[in-house]
Formats: sequence, C-alpha cells, structure tokens
Amino acid sequence: MNTTVAPRVVAPESAADAAALLAACSREGAAVVAVGGSTLQSIGNAPRRCDVALHTGGLTGIRDYLPADMTAGLEAGTTLAEVARTLGEHGQWIPFDAPAAVLATVGGTLAAGWAGPRRAVYGRPRDLVIGSTVALTDGTLAHAGGMVVKNVAGYDMSKLYVGSLGTLGLIVRANFKALPRPPARRVAIAPVAEDVRDRTLAALGELALEPSAALVLDGFPGVARSGDAPVRLVLSFEGSEAVVERATHDLRSALGKAGIPETLLLDAAGAEGALAAVIDAYIAVPGPAVLTYRSAGLPSTAWSRTRNAGAIAQQHELGAESIADVRTGDAILRFSAPTVAAFAGVLPAFDAELRRAFERTTVLAGTQELRASIDAWGPEPSNIATMRAIKAHFDPTGILAPGRYVGAI
Amino acid sequence: MVTSLPSRLLDALGPDIVHTSPEDLTVYAFDGYSEGRLPSAAVIPRDAREAALAVRIAFECGEPVVPRGAGSGLCGGAIPAQGGVVVSMVRMNRILELDVRNRRARVQPGLINLDLSRAAAPHGIFYAPDPSSQKVSTIGGNVGTNAGGPHCLSYGTTTNHVLGLEYVDGTGVIHRTSIDDPGYDVTGLLVGSEGTLGLVTAVDVRLMALPEAVRVFVAAFPDVESASEVVSAIIAAGIIPTALELMDKMITASIESHFHVGFPLTAGAVLLVEIAGPADDMAAGEEAIAKIARSHGALSWRAAADAAEREALWASRKGAGGAIGKITPNFYIQDACVPRSKLPQVTHEIERIAHDYDVKVGNLYHAGDGNLHPLLCFDRRDPRSVRAIVEAGTEILATCIAMGGTISGEHGVGHEKRDSLSLVFDSADLAAMGRVRDVFDPRKLFNPDKIFPTGAVCGEVRAVPAVA
Repeated sequence: MNTTVAPRVVAPESAADAAALLAACSREGAAVVAVGGSTLQSIGNAPRRCDVALHTGGLTGIRDYLPADMTAGLEAGTTLAEVARTLGEHGQWIPFDAPAAVLATVGGTLAAGWAGPRRAVYGRPRDLVIGSTVALTDGTLAHAGGMVVKNVAGYDMSKLYVGSLGTLGLIVRANFKALPRPPARRVAIAPVAEDVRDRTLAALGELALEPSAALVLDGFPGVARSGDAPVRLVLSFEGSEAVVERATHDLRSALGKAGIPETLLLDAAGAEGALAAVIDAYIAVPGPAVLTYRSAGLPSTAWSRTRNAGAIAQQHELGAESIADVRTGDAILRFSAPTVAAFAGVLPAFDAELRRAFERTTVLAGTQELRASIDAWGPEPSNIATMRAIKAHFDPTGILAPGRYVGAI
Repeated sequence: MVTSLPSRLLDALGPDIVHTSPEDLTVYAFDGYSEGRLPSAAVIPRDAREAALAVRIAFECGEPVVPRGAGSGLCGGAIPAQGGVVVSMVRMNRILELDVRNRRARVQPGLINLDLSRAAAPHGIFYAPDPSSQKVSTIGGNVGTNAGGPHCLSYGTTTNHVLGLEYVDGTGVIHRTSIDDPGYDVTGLLVGSEGTLGLVTAVDVRLMALPEAVRVFVAAFPDVESASEVVSAIIAAGIIPTALELMDKMITASIESHFHVGFPLTAGAVLLVEIAGPADDMAAGEEAIAKIARSHGALSWRAAADAAEREALWASRKGAGGAIGKITPNFYIQDACVPRSKLPQVTHEIERIAHDYDVKVGNLYHAGDGNLHPLLCFDRRDPRSVRAIVEAGTEILATCIAMGGTISGEHGVGHEKRDSLSLVFDSADLAAMGRVRDVFDPRKLFNPDKIFPTGAVCGEVRAVPAVA
C-alpha cells in the first residue's frame, strides 16, 4: 500500500458496525482496505491510498449450519480451516482449494475471486454461494440470495461481490451449499520426461475415471516431489474407496503404457497435504525477486502456454517455473531473477510480451517492488465503462481500495 | 415518436425481420403464464448485429425491448408489460462452436436446450441444466431465468454452466464477457436478470462428461409426507443423488394415463430417484437410498431396467405439465423453495392450505433441492375458483418464506411475482439490485415491469394466471 502514514486498524465486531464504519469513512473520504488472512492481498494493484485497514477478525463464526440441509452461513473472518473442521465433523465440506487455509478467510477468498484446481468437478466458490450479506458505503447491509440451494429471486448479487476485491463493499457473510465429503482420496505424483509429454496428456484424456485435479508442475522444488524430476504430474482423485482404487489402478497402467514407469500414490492425510502444498505454492514468494502470473485459458492450451512462457522468460534471462492445470486451463507462471534490480530492468518489456502472448494474464503474487511497477490486470475489458459505473454507484466517494481493480477502479 | 418506431425498424431491417401487423403481433403478447400488451413490433433478428440495431432504434425512440426465447416462461417474464419491441431469438438457434476437447460450446440464444445435449451426446458430453421445458425452451431463455431442472440437484443450475456471454447494451454496443476475464462478474450478473440488463446474443456454456453409469429408481409411499421425509433423510445422510423428484397421486395418475410408465396408482406419492457416476458406486448408492426409503415405509422400490425405461420415466416426469390438462380445465403452477429439512412440514402446510381454500392441489417437487411446484387446479370461467387459487398460492409462498425459503427456485420473478420480491428482500437489498439496474439500463427500457416490485398492490386481473 502506497501510504506514508500507517493506516488505522479497525476490526468491527458486527455487520452493523462494519456498515456504520464504511458510511463514516465514505463521509470523511477515508480510504478503506479490507483485510482477512492477508494471503491473497497481492492480487490486484496496490491501493493508491489506505487510511483504514478493516480487519474481518471480529466477524467470525459459522451460523445457521444445518447439516441436514447441507447449508451454512459463514461470517467473513472465519478461516477456511475452521470451516473444514466444523463441516468435516458431519462428513461435509466446501472445496475452496485456496492457499494457506489456516490463515485464509471466507470473505477474503470470495473477494479475491479465488478458484482452485478442482473446480472442474466441484465448481468455483462462487458456484457454491447461495446467499450473501454485504456492508455498503451508504451504511446499509444488502442481502442477496438466502439459505435455500435453488433461488432465482432477484439479481444474483453475490456474483457481483465475489471477485470484486473489496472495491464495492465488504462481504460480511456468505451462505454456502455444502457438499458430501468424499470418503477416500489419493494423490498421484509421476515424473514426466520430455519425450513422453504428449503421450501422457493423451493417456489422461482416455481415463474413464477422471481426476478432480490434473496439474503439471515444472520447477516448484519442495512440493509434490518425485525424485529429482523437474516436470511431474500431480493428480487428485476423490470418491468412494472402490472408485479411487480403480481410478489409481487405471492411472498407473495408462501412465505405464505412456512410458512413465513409476507413480507415487499418497492417500488420506498424505494426499490432502500434497495437494494443499501445491496450492500454497501458487502464491509463495521464495526468492528476492519473484513474480507469479495466472494465465486463464482453454485446458487444451495450458501446457503449451507454460512452455511458451518459459521461452519468453529465457529471452529476458529470467528463471521460469510453472503449473499447467490441464483440467481448468489455468497456467500458473512464476518468474524469478537473482535481484530485484535485475528483474526490474527487464520487467516492462517482459510483461508486455507476456500479455501479448496470452490473453487474461493477471498478477497473482510476487515481490512488492516488482508488482508495483506494472498493472496487475492487463488490457481493459470492452465493458470497462459499465464496470466504472458499477463502482460509482456502489462507492460514489471512491473510498474502497482505490486503484486496486481493473482499469484503476 | 412512438408511431415512428415500427417504420424505423422496417427501414433498417426489412419486413422479413420486422413484424408489425396486429395479427402477427398477438402471439408476442403472451408467454406460458399470462398476457401482456401488444408490442409495437416484433423483431426476429438473424444475428447479433441485427439484434443490436433493433435495441438501438427502440431505445432512441424511448421504447422498451423485451427479449423472448420460446415464450414458455411461467411468470410473465417475456410479456411486453409496456408494449415496445419484442426481440424473438428463434432464428438465432445455432451451435456456433462445439469444442469437445475443452468441453464447451458457443451457442446462439435461440438454440433449444435439448438440441445442445443431443448434439453433444455423440462425443460423450452433455449440457447439464435440464428444465422440464427443455424440448421447447431456449438456452437464452434459460440464461434469463437461471433455469434449473431435475438434474440441477447435483450439477447446479444454469449459472453454474455459463462461462461467458455476448450481450447488447442499452446503446446498441455488443460486448463479450467471460468468467475468466478480469473485472466484475458481468456474466454472473446477467444470468438470472430476466432480460432487464441487456440482450444476450451468444452464450458460452460448459459441457460435462456423460456419467459412466446411471440408475433410475421408482419408490412408492403411502403419502406425500412420508415421501418428503425420505427426501430430507437422504440429504441429511449426505447423499446427493443426481435427481430426486417427488410426485403425488394426482400427478402420477395423470402422467400414467398419458405415458404408461408403470407408476403405482395406489400410492399416495412416488419418488423418482437417479444416481449417476462411476459404475462401482451404483450398488452401494442404491442400497443406501433404498434402505432409507424402506425404513420410512416405502410400499415398493423398482429399478428401471435399461436406458430406454430411464428415458421414458424422465420424459413422463418432464411431460407432467401437459398431462395435467386432462384433469383440470386450468392450472396454476407455483414455484417456491424451502430448506430441504422443511419438506415434510411444508407438505403438511400445503395440504392444510388446499383444504382451507377448497383448492385441488397436485404436488410436483424437485424435492432434493427443496424446490416445490404445487399445481393449483381451477376453472378460469369461475371467478371464485380464480380468487381461491390466487389466495392459496399467496399463502403457500408466505408459508415457504416463513420456513426460511424463497419465492422462486427456478421459474423467475418476472411480472407475476415482482411484488412478492419485497417479501424476501428489504429496501436496502432491493436498492443494491436497483443500482445494478441503473448502471445497465438507467431508463428502464430493457424488459420493464419485471423483477422489481411496483410498490402498489397487484390487481387481481393481472394476477390471474392464464396457464392452461
């Protein structure tokens, strides 16, 4: 945050207090940045001003959780780990798939628009939200949706707030549809040699029992290791014991035919931990000069995008690592240099070339100085005027995380 | 100015695209629910450019634009409440791109829902949202109402399957959105906005792999309450079948007389249950659900023998609306949703309300989602009968809301329920929605008099449903 004076830190204890605070800040023109677990604050541009850091730590708790209805109201500051624990006691879960679940909050995860690698099977967090309460800058609390799993009464306002990075209001509570937690899970890790890449992808496409996540890691040492292999496949399977057993059996035989002799299988807590570690790595900043982008696109191009990005990095003498999500189409691209100065020198040209090569490439994480020197979002969408008007209608004094969003909203 | 609208449209688009004679326009005054005003013109564009031109001309003349798919909606969403121009999407009914590898398709809004799954099936993929109207209703209309259907229980509703949109804004400019684009989720806002924010001209949808195995079961129960207890118990056990439908005796009897699929006629209620997924899970899935059914007094439990029987059962369920015509001159189908554990209680209340108002009510639930469709029978020639179903319908809605439910699970708010919206949302909630409306359509010309409450009490004439 580009502010010379440390922001005032506040943590309202109720939704009504949060709304009153926003109204007061709006009157005074004090810029407000919402803070949850601070795990995804690197998404978007640094706000131009921050007079008040609004922590959601006073807004925690799981309300109206009725396991028999499989619905739960989650207050913004509740951590994902707490949600997993409470729902897990009833054999249920909400697959957020977000990094650092011990710190990450429900409100922050939604505001950041996080969507993880298992969304092809379970949906994005946005798809599981059935209702929301949002504190607005006029001091009101606006509800949308409700506690039922099917609801078309009025606009689906929750969609607007999810992914808006705190620029329209403060999500104080979100209601979710929970899912039955699969009883068994396995994570498979296999090294992929250069010469069997295409055959490996083809083999994955033929599996009758598909993995819920299919990632190709290149680099990212320390997570999902498979000997010293730089490139390895990480697959997650969930379901009944019989299904994951058959799925992993089929997988081993398919990969064997593709020329991959060994597949490491992790089950239960080992599987849980391995996938969580990979997701944590999306936002990790392990060196002095690191910048991580997320490139969204078609699943069929995810792997080739990571390779093209590697080539672009090489031209600019940057180190490159990647995670190709061949189920959702995300490519996580992490670049590094020995020093900030070395990276900063090539960054403008490199960033421009990367954005030319791939549409929908946004900054996910990285060293603050590097992030500050580029726009996190890339080209403006064609309906940017509509987005600016939305902002003006919800935050007329422009106090909510000014400058953080697309088009300097 | 108003009189010049049809001629301006004709000049711009020609008589093949623009219809203006009263006999051609009559059909556009109706949808599956009721009658609105005669529009000044109906435009049937062939592409987004023609649709955009129609919007621009209408708005320049200060006249409303009412988007229309198949006109099969059940809450007056497609009726021209204030006249204006109806833009019918029936000619824009093509699949523009079917990307099998990435399991997505770009389609025009006038494409019929079932045609998409039919085109995808040979590739082992399908489009999951399956409203009962899917043989006639369009993807664009489904987007407008965020349509559901029996299989939304495990697959989610339309909004969970829309990856992006192309839409015409109020100035006639065409935009493209994607849920992967940076910026506010305009895609998510437009889905379910019932044509009040823009005119959708293309839809990017997500397709899913067909399940390896599918089983459909028919379970019979002595009454609706015991069947609804089973539904609540299945969900409470953490089992989410792909579909879990409840039909009472009146519904099964009328279905049976048309479709002859073997529903037990002596039972008070029937559950239609589908499970789908890996073949390994089918036996255990059936056992778990059948056990719950038996412990709640199931009279019978039958598995469909093959794909043909499964399809026949689903066709009969989705054809229930038509079959009902045999037993009542008119019926009014209500759409409400309650938390799933409340099904037995709400069932009891609906019975009481039916008795109090002396209305014959059939029950047809997307039970696994808590989505109720009580069918209220009446004779529109008898004003007392009309008044009774309007009042009973209102009380059913109020009962659902009191149980933590809402006024529409899948049909939409449309014209019919706009004044009921304030039963579930307060002025701050509605103001937030109003801001979105103001951004997209400050003059309120996209499908006016829909969704938002009037503030005035609805007259009984308008509330008279014309469904038959």
